[in-house]
Amino acid sequence: MPSLISLSGLHKSYFNDEVETAVLHGIDLEIDTGEFIAIMGPSGSGKSTLMHILGFLDRPTAGTYTFLGENTAGKNDDDLAAIRATKVSFVFQAFHLLPRATVLENVLLPLLYHPGIASIDREKYARKAIASVGLSDRAGFLSSQLSGGQKQRVAIARALVTEPALIFADEPTGNLDSASGLQVMEVLEKLNAAGHTIILVTHERTTAEFADRIVHIKDGLIESDTSSHKRRKAGADVKLK
Amino acid sequence: MKYSDILTSAFTALRRNIGRSTLTMLGIVIGVGSVVLMSSVGASMEKVILSQISSLGSKSMVIFPGSNQEGGASQVFAGHDSLTFEDIEHLEKLTTIDTIAPIVFMPGPAKRGREESSAQIMGVHPNFFHNQKMSAAQGRLLDAHDNDRAARFALLGPDVKEELFGQSDPLGKEITVGDRSYTVVGVTKALGSQFFQNADDRVYISLSVARQVTGQKYASYITMLATDSFDVAFAHVEGLLRYRHKIENPKNDPEKDDFIVRSSEQANAILSSVSLGLTLFITTVAGISLLVGGIGIMNIMLVTVTERTREIGLRKALGARPRDILLQFLAESVALTVTGGMIGLIFGLGLAWIIAQIIQGFLSTYLFAISFPSMIAAVLMAALTGVIFGISPARKASSLDPVESLRYE
Repeated sequence: MPSLISLSGLHKSYFNDEVETAVLHGIDLEIDTGEFIAIMGPSGSGKSTLMHILGFLDRPTAGTYTFLGENTAGKNDDDLAAIRATKVSFVFQAFHLLPRATVLENVLLPLLYHPGIASIDREKYARKAIASVGLSDRAGFLSSQLSGGQKQRVAIARALVTEPALIFADEPTGNLDSASGLQVMEVLEKLNAAGHTIILVTHERTTAEFADRIVHIKDGLIESDTSSHKRRKAGADVKLK
Repeated sequence: MKYSDILTSAFTALRRNIGRSTLTMLGIVIGVGSVVLMSSVGASMEKVILSQISSLGSKSMVIFPGSNQEGGASQVFAGHDSLTFEDIEHLEKLTTIDTIAPIVFMPGPAKRGREESSAQIMGVHPNFFHNQKMSAAQGRLLDAHDNDRAARFALLGPDVKEELFGQSDPLGKEITVGDRSYTVVGVTKALGSQFFQNADDRVYISLSVARQVTGQKYASYITMLATDSFDVAFAHVEGLLRYRHKIENPKNDPEKDDFIVRSSEQANAILSSVSLGLTLFITTVAGISLLVGGIGIMNIMLVTVTERTREIGLRKALGARPRDILLQFLAESVALTVTGGMIGLIFGLGLAWIIAQIIQGFLSTYLFAISFPSMIAAVLMAALTGVIFGISPARKASSLDPVESLRYE
């Protein structure tokens, strides 16, 4: 069975007025289905860029990215959008909720772009996702009326609603107090236990400790890739090429 | 993304920004509203004039004393002495003229006891009733016998009858005009307005009596019916009057004549040109207002795209294709203009209806009319404005980079 994600010699450079700024210098990495992996690194190390490429929001300059056994190099914008709509989802540090929309409307949003879920079933899916983060009683609230921790749980419900193969969490506790942050990480932990693959991008050691595997990135290269002592998952196939 | 979802998203976005949406669509509301209003008033006026023209028939002609002014304006002189009764005797001999009826205005007022009417007093030849297709609602019209023996009879318009007699029967009763009394022999059927004059507020006296009373040797104006072709009759009348009045006018310069001949066909032609002018005017107003409204919408949509950059990034992260974003913002722009167009339509029709109620107070034949082609064209133009002025902001939104958009502060 192929890995969920396989990266080989991945490079990424940005060009500004023909000035090249290299961010990733050749990343080799494999991630299997069901893993809870944290990508750590200092600011500017390239961890967010790596997440954007893995989440099909950006493209590598060179190297190979294989997703579910398929090379993604030849895919056009619509193909990548289709993968984002059905296979991956995101939880952002800034939540990115629509402030004038209700919790339910925010969670319904990804279903507008999901071709496999009928319109009539959308609300059922959304309410199920909201219930799974414990916010059923807030479904009719405007997202602007929620606390930071609740907002992030709504963002997690939104990420869950399409039942994606992979969830990216980009500094999910960065804007939260420690109690709310803990709640959010516990929700992510539960999701992983339920079979969701989670890639966590963070610079906080305590947050990263929730993951089974921690990949350190520095200056666009993987510095280390270690399994967590705390929560090593039986059978997780962790490799560093 | 399904089209139904795109539409729902568009209207939801407008609802969430209801204040801004309302102000943005105001230009379109005013533009479409004014077009619908003007086209409705135009259609109503056209109906009024057409009904008056058709009620007179295509062979009806009127000669006024006076002259045509530069630029096509007419100057009618009711007291001018250019149309003499000798002219009328000669006109009667023209084979192209069927019936001719001179009219002499008399000074009023008409009175019955203490009741007084401001009605127009007209000394008319009996042919007048034939030319105007008039009939009596009560009693009879004035006839040739009355005229020949200069009988002191009066025929009342229904408004005068109401004013002087109320509900009582006027037949056989006396009224006075000036210092003379007249016996009422009939009441005419209601005519309503003729060329914006109340034709029911008149008292008719035989022409012979009016001439005796006023001593007038000229007609205030003349009505005629042509036997066949209006064009030939028109040329004959013009030629005869120029000959008798010694007017050299080989180039048919209407300013040189001391009379004006008007026909229902001419009125039709004038109406057509007025209609065309009105249509061009409405189109210009619509074009300008939709252009201004469209520029306003483009500005607001560009601001909206900038404001919602992070939302665009989020939608892309959630799987929206560039096409989905483009259609969503285009739909918002079209929803703005179409909603504005529909509100303008209702607003314009409402105002046209109110105006119709007001005008009906003094012009009973004026009816509220709707110009469906103008209404449909106005709303379609509004929708097209939304597409044209919405495309640039929508393209900008669809081309935004998702990563950059999510980072936008």
